[in-house]
Amino acid sequence: MTVLGPNESILDPREAALGTEGLVRRFGEVTAVDDVTLAVPSGELRAVIGPNGAGKTTLFNVVTGLLSPTAGRVWFEGTDVTDAPQYERPHAGLARSFQSNELFTEESVLENVRVVVQTAEYGPFGLDLFRDAASVGRERAVEILDRVGLDAAHDTLAKNLPHGDQRRLGIAMALATDPDVLLLDEPTSGMSPGATTKTAALVEDIHDSLGLTVLLIEHDMDVVLSISDRVTVLDQGRAIATGPPEEIRTDDDVQEAYLGGIREEL
Amino acid sequence: MNGNDPSFAREATDAVRGRLGSLTPAAWALLVISLAVLAFAFAVRPGLFVDNAIGGLVYGMILVMIALGLSLILGLMGVVNFAHGALFMLGAYFAYQVVGAMGLSFWAALVVAPVAVGAVGLAMEVTVLRRIYDQDPIIGLLATFGLTLMVQEAVRAVWGAAPLGFDVPRALQGGTDLGVTTVGTFRIFTVLVATVAVVAVYLLISRTDFGLTVRAGVQDDEMTEFLGVDLPLRFTAMFCLGAAIAGLGGVLRAAESGLGTGMGQTFVILAFVVVVVGGVGSLFGSVVSGILIGEATFMTPVVLTALSAATGVAAFDVSGIQGLVPYLVMITVLLVRPRGLFGEEGLME
Amino acid sequence: MSALSRYRVPVGLLVLVVALRPVVAHQWLLGFGQIATSMLIWMLFVAAFNLLFGFTGLLSFGHAMFFGFGMYGVAIAVARLDLPFVVGAVVGVAFAAAFGNLLGRLIVEKGEIYFAMLTLAVGEAVYFVVNRNPLGLTGGSNGISQNALPPWVETFRGQKSVVLPFAEVEWYWVVAVVFLLCMLALWQLLRSPFGRSLVAVRENEGLARAMGMNVDRYKIASFTASGALASIAGVLLEINTQGASIETFGVLTSGDAVLMAVLGGVNYFFGPVAGVFVWQFTAEYLSSFRMLNLPTTELALVSVDVSGVLQHWRFLLGALFVAVVLLSPKDGVWGALRDGVRVAAARFREVRR
Repeated sequence: MTVLGPNESILDPREAALGTEGLVRRFGEVTAVDDVTLAVPSGELRAVIGPNGAGKTTLFNVVTGLLSPTAGRVWFEGTDVTDAPQYERPHAGLARSFQSNELFTEESVLENVRVVVQTAEYGPFGLDLFRDAASVGRERAVEILDRVGLDAAHDTLAKNLPHGDQRRLGIAMALATDPDVLLLDEPTSGMSPGATTKTAALVEDIHDSLGLTVLLIEHDMDVVLSISDRVTVLDQGRAIATGPPEEIRTDDDVQEAYLGGIREEL
Repeated sequence: MNGNDPSFAREATDAVRGRLGSLTPAAWALLVISLAVLAFAFAVRPGLFVDNAIGGLVYGMILVMIALGLSLILGLMGVVNFAHGALFMLGAYFAYQVVGAMGLSFWAALVVAPVAVGAVGLAMEVTVLRRIYDQDPIIGLLATFGLTLMVQEAVRAVWGAAPLGFDVPRALQGGTDLGVTTVGTFRIFTVLVATVAVVAVYLLISRTDFGLTVRAGVQDDEMTEFLGVDLPLRFTAMFCLGAAIAGLGGVLRAAESGLGTGMGQTFVILAFVVVVVGGVGSLFGSVVSGILIGEATFMTPVVLTALSAATGVAAFDVSGIQGLVPYLVMITVLLVRPRGLFGEEGLME
Repeated sequence: MSALSRYRVPVGLLVLVVALRPVVAHQWLLGFGQIATSMLIWMLFVAAFNLLFGFTGLLSFGHAMFFGFGMYGVAIAVARLDLPFVVGAVVGVAFAAAFGNLLGRLIVEKGEIYFAMLTLAVGEAVYFVVNRNPLGLTGGSNGISQNALPPWVETFRGQKSVVLPFAEVEWYWVVAVVFLLCMLALWQLLRSPFGRSLVAVRENEGLARAMGMNVDRYKIASFTASGALASIAGVLLEINTQGASIETFGVLTSGDAVLMAVLGGVNYFFGPVAGVFVWQFTAEYLSSFRMLNLPTTELALVSVDVSGVLQHWRFLLGALFVAVVLLSPKDGVWGALRDGVRVAAARFREVRR
């Protein structure tokens, strides 16, 4: 395998599990995502790296429909989903976690996951008024919490969880949508080295045993090198290189992007 | 407001040009028809027409004076100040206290009442509002709603629930002849005072260092404080200013139409309508929409009466539709242009 | 034990309707029980409001309109059109639901602050229209008071009763049954999958959307249900006050709902119940209170005439409301009560050990 430059992709984005074509997102004068073309094949664990402000989270936000793109298309499993409402994407199989701990804070850990399982079951809008919700989706929620290692915290309020467990709960909720493609936004941020290793193992486990396609924003290079199949480097909104982790590490363009600024100063 | 361009005039012309440029043919047709109908109504009863046009302007300027403070506090501090109507009402009652109860001159009330309302605003800001700036905006709405209740009950306790009124100086009584009709001198005075107040606020926000630092604080409070600006002090000052203008509006309104304990509530709802129609976050929008709603409220009956007289169709003569006009304008604007006439996308959403 | 804790809401509601009247009628409290009926009606109204605010996160400042739709639906049918009561009630409730649904579609996506301001403005516009007495139906500012009771309601010395084929029932118990049914329906709605979705929307709208919920549709549905439920309270109020009055549509009515719900505790099912009780009880108690005798009435060393101050009880409750909003906006009286009971229980357990 070799390293691909800007706007080169492994396969046609329209045939990938998740693809973007010429994706652009501007905020006023600032271009946060600049002509990004990506293709993530089914079953791959792809890491997205880049300096702060490179547009990684904005890319996730546009792909998942939280923001609409200024230009370009988003393809999911062969369908153009650019104009699909955000709430329809999880039902199609495209789920995400958030960098900030977005939770239903006043609810229990179990309820946080259960209500997502329930949503996956009923679709975007469910008007079931007659059942007791406590029994709907409970078993699957318990199963997912077991997988992410939160089995002892069912009744804890989400806001009272320690930071690392909150991040794991975020992953659990994304899993509860029963996704094909999972976007994880810095799942290890703010974690101790021990917790980081544990979470990296969790991501790898999700990818391997559930067979999910995973797109991962990650700062910890050890994690990136150890678990990802391919790496895409974002710099100033542009995808400057995509390739296997070891080759990306030694690639000149990437070195330039990360180190260029420092070299100029010297 | 446009952060890069401090000039009010430039912002205004840009905004208007932008609006005109984006008008659809249907909107153009509507505009032409409205102008034609207005011209027709003028031809039928010129005296009534001018009377109501000026009545609408007076009403509109009162609305602007309340909506301006509301919009200012909303834009700067993210708080929907329900108590703004109560401050307006306090201005009216303070003026009554000075003129009606203590027998002093109206000119004294014109100064004392807004200052006193500013002081009440200061007390509100320091005791309650300061605690809620960085919280969910709903909390601010609720807290200021509670304050409204307290002010209203306090007014009832001090001045009673019966309607009151007071006289204006002889110089402002009587009328001024405009050819087709005679207009009350006090109405012209109201429009002048309100215009001066509104323009002054605008210049303060857009042209002075004070306004600049406050706006910078809204954009990035940490950085602004780091640069040595005392933001809480400036927010307090802005709040007092907004309160004082509302109080001034109350004085003017009470002098012409009398005062009652329900006036605060009635006008704060109309001020909400003005802010929604003008677009949340745009001071310029509040000014335009205040005058627009004032005029629409007063001109609609004139136009309908003229149409009914000319066509002989009595159905046009919907008596008493006047009070409903602001809400009809609001619903129309929301359907056609959801973020208001001059609103920025995404603000407060 | 677990069955009791699982059904503590139905049990609590049953205890409430049985105990409310004797409790307020106790000589240490108000000494008369008539207010209990209107308390139940208001509890239903505020609970309906709180379905929207406390459990969906949308603050409506115009909920009085739904209260009024139910009330005027009955009054217009019975007094103006000579139609059966049931027709008026059904049309009133259906109109409230339809109005809530359409208004929701128009304004729900604009965010919570817009929602509060727009419901307030629309409520004011509705008040205005009703006040204009369109087609001579609403009676304008006089409201509707002549022949406004259905034939099966009898009044005798201010006491109402309902004549059924087999018996005559006190009006309070009819209200109690309707109240119970509606509150149980609300309870079931809140524990259903639909209700849990509403709570998720309240907790974190953005997350709910990212997890696949059509947030706007949930909000519109909640607004519709809340409006319909509030209008049922309005139907009861029509009979209770023997007609329809324009004040019901007023912004003060909407404001009172907000005040009572927040005072009671918007996060709890029983919050509105507690809020209405505290508010109406305080209003009655304080406005009938004349002399403050210290230390006791029997042994009065100091007697102060406080009626002048206490007739302005709204000021005091306003101050209490501001304090609740600043300190703990979602817990209110009911939250404080729960905390108190929990602390006391913990203390008790410690002592026993």
